[in-house]
Amino acid sequence: MRNLTVVAIFLALVVACPRVQAQTPAAKSPDASASSIANGKRVFAGAGCSACHGAQGQGSTLAPQIAPPPLEISAMIAYVRQPTGKMPPVPVATASERQLADVYAFLQSVAPAPTGEALKGNADNGKKLFAAYGCYECHGRQGAGASTGPRIGPPAITLAAVLRYVRAPSGQMPPYTAKVVSDQDLTDIYTYLKSLPPPPAASSIPLLNQ
Amino acid sequence: MRKSKKDSVNRRDFLRAAAAGTAALVVHPAAASAAPPELPRAAGAPPLLKAPPDSPASVEVMTVDRPGSDFMVDVLKTLNFEYLCANPGNTFRSLHESLINYGGNKAPEFITCCHEESSVAMGHGYAKIEGKPLLVCVHGTVGLQHASMAIYDAFCDRVPVYIILGNFGDTAERFGQVDWTHSAQDPAAMIRDYVKWDDRPVSLQGFSESAVRAYKIAMTAPMMPVALVADHELQEYAVTDSANLTIPKLTITSPPVGDSGAVAEVARLLVAAENPVLVTDRVARTPAGLAGLIELAETLQAPVVDRNGRMNFPTRHPLNHTERGGAAIANADLIAGLELTDYWSTVNSVRGQVNPVIQSATKPGTKLVSITANDLYMKSNYQDFQRYAPVDIAIAADAEATLPSLIEAVKRQITDDRKHTFADRGTKHTSAHQQAMQAGREAAATGWDASPISTARMSSEIWAQIKNEDWSLVSNCQFVSRWPLRLWDFNKHYHYIGGEGGYGVGYGAPASVGAALANRKHGRLTVSIQNDGDLMYAPGVLWTAAHHRIPMLIVMHNNRAYHQELMQVQIMADRHNRGITNASIGSVLVDPPIDFSKLAQGMGVHAEGPISNPNDLAPAIRRAMAVVKGGDPALVDVLTQPR
Repeated sequence: MRNLTVVAIFLALVVACPRVQAQTPAAKSPDASASSIANGKRVFAGAGCSACHGAQGQGSTLAPQIAPPPLEISAMIAYVRQPTGKMPPVPVATASERQLADVYAFLQSVAPAPTGEALKGNADNGKKLFAAYGCYECHGRQGAGASTGPRIGPPAITLAAVLRYVRAPSGQMPPYTAKVVSDQDLTDIYTYLKSLPPPPAASSIPLLNQ
Repeated sequence: MRKSKKDSVNRRDFLRAAAAGTAALVVHPAAASAAPPELPRAAGAPPLLKAPPDSPASVEVMTVDRPGSDFMVDVLKTLNFEYLCANPGNTFRSLHESLINYGGNKAPEFITCCHEESSVAMGHGYAKIEGKPLLVCVHGTVGLQHASMAIYDAFCDRVPVYIILGNFGDTAERFGQVDWTHSAQDPAAMIRDYVKWDDRPVSLQGFSESAVRAYKIAMTAPMMPVALVADHELQEYAVTDSANLTIPKLTITSPPVGDSGAVAEVARLLVAAENPVLVTDRVARTPAGLAGLIELAETLQAPVVDRNGRMNFPTRHPLNHTERGGAAIANADLIAGLELTDYWSTVNSVRGQVNPVIQSATKPGTKLVSITANDLYMKSNYQDFQRYAPVDIAIAADAEATLPSLIEAVKRQITDDRKHTFADRGTKHTSAHQQAMQAGREAAATGWDASPISTARMSSEIWAQIKNEDWSLVSNCQFVSRWPLRLWDFNKHYHYIGGEGGYGVGYGAPASVGAALANRKHGRLTVSIQNDGDLMYAPGVLWTAAHHRIPMLIVMHNNRAYHQELMQVQIMADRHNRGITNASIGSVLVDPPIDFSKLAQGMGVHAEGPISNPNDLAPAIRRAMAVVKGGDPALVDVLTQPR
């Protein structure tokens, strides 16, 4: 380990874990009205989101693609209020929850998420591939995350978002081409990760409250 | 001590004529009749100039009563070294003997090391706890080559280590192949790029002055290792000029304090800023640094982002924003880097793909100020100085020593209005700190019952056992995802000592033992989370810990790999689009797995493991702690997640 450059594999918004979601005040469902989408587009540009994520949320070398949003709305709001990566926080003074909901609607309108996504993966094979392909090296053997990569088990983002991200990561994660890992293999890995139980609440573990 | 031309011709003739208590035979008569000087002497030491016995000069004299190395011990004792760490070598055999017999093996006490890298790294860890160097003796050429990586680590970490190099300087004094291969014309040349100062004195008086000077230089900020060559001739020949030998007084240089005008300007900027952030790395050399930084942060209600090169700031302080450092820096309008080793990377980020993309991590217009002693002294060849950071104000000074004047200047400039502003932002910072800490606990819960054991679980299990002790964590937390720093309550200056400095693997085990050696007399419980790959460099230091009864709890972070390199190879395999299933070749430690428990037991260390069930951890740690409290080292081998 002569080079201690931290491999901060950075699956962008994945870091907003379910536990954080659970603590976030429930946000209203995104209002997909035309006015909401239009307002969201204005906020997206005015608050500076587009400077890194691109005008259509398509992503750039500076920040990941976020259209369609890879997170539930409550998780997205929790993340932008207190990001753990290099993204600057978006305080209420910059964008209220209503405005963020409009941004969410805008991002959905740009590239609607596939609905009814049916997993056709094999969890057992995915578990083997997760080890064989070295995913564990940065994300831990159960996808629990570490300083080298965020928690990805169970994943908080869609399979489609995973497939997009690993082919062209916006952060430090190395790209995995289809030649190295096929879509089917990634689907198996995703299915394995999806099969993992969510982590317990820290409050339920005495050793984490000492 | 220089020899006369006559005796320099033939060493055996010289010995016959001058040794065996006959030093006066070759000394100037005036010197021989002079009264012995008042020098520090070891208890029971013989007179400096023993009268020669009534024996004819033709009788071979085969002993030396007062070798030069005795005087060297007199000199070294004035420097108050507690310990000498060394692996024996004949280039310093005379000094070795003088230290243990003439010097009584006390102050310094000889600590037997199994590798010169261990000797120096022990000095590295010791100095970061004790605030001063111990003595290291290193064998000529081969020993120094072993020691070199550890010297480089200490250099990069700005830590004083005091090294004496043995050498057969005079080619006419080398008899046999080994004397030649273990000697050099300029022994310190190979480390000159990464020591602060070195010298090769040619007389005992020169040794005396250089020895004191070396200590003074090593202890002046920026602190670094120093090396002093002790040629065999100086060590082994009899003292001939005792009457003229003196030992100068050591006066430690006061640390450089920042220019008052520049400090006042930094204070003005700090008070005026809406979102100032203090970024710290190697600030707190002493408890005063920790206290000073707390006072500065609280006065300004400014968050601290700690790079943890030292124990700078309490982890549970509401202004500790290390865990949300990226967000804090992105929101800052003023960043004050205090002994910040890598300023550039603090205010920039790099996307490490084929075509790296550099992005500013700060807002446009963010003011940058720096206080560091690194600006006072820099080397050329080894470039640990990092990428150039174009700051707005650079103060070349020791940050800890400058803190009192900076705090005073800040307080002078704070108005009542600013106090209200500071109080308001302090409330927000407290809330953000609490959220970040809670996020850390939630993240730690993930994989709680996993096997191999998560590093968060292992860290929590250790904390449960030590939290009520007077503890000191002496290993780098970076390899365990910084979990101790995220979960434990660090608040004393010896609670943490940072990392390698030069990121040289092999530092961890010996530096931990050195730190434990320093902690021993304070009665502290030393804890080391030991990486498996690091321990395999020079595991003999476990024997040193057992032999010298250095108590410490060693918990193995055994991920069975040189894991950082495993990730690096995988990145390359991805980048080269060649598949990734071979990335483990050359970077994992399996087949056979290393049994660290047996390794430690073989060196006399209590050991258990490998442990893979997290529920077995607590009892094993408790048993190990009982051994440690009895005054011995103990090791628990834990099979862990990669990071």
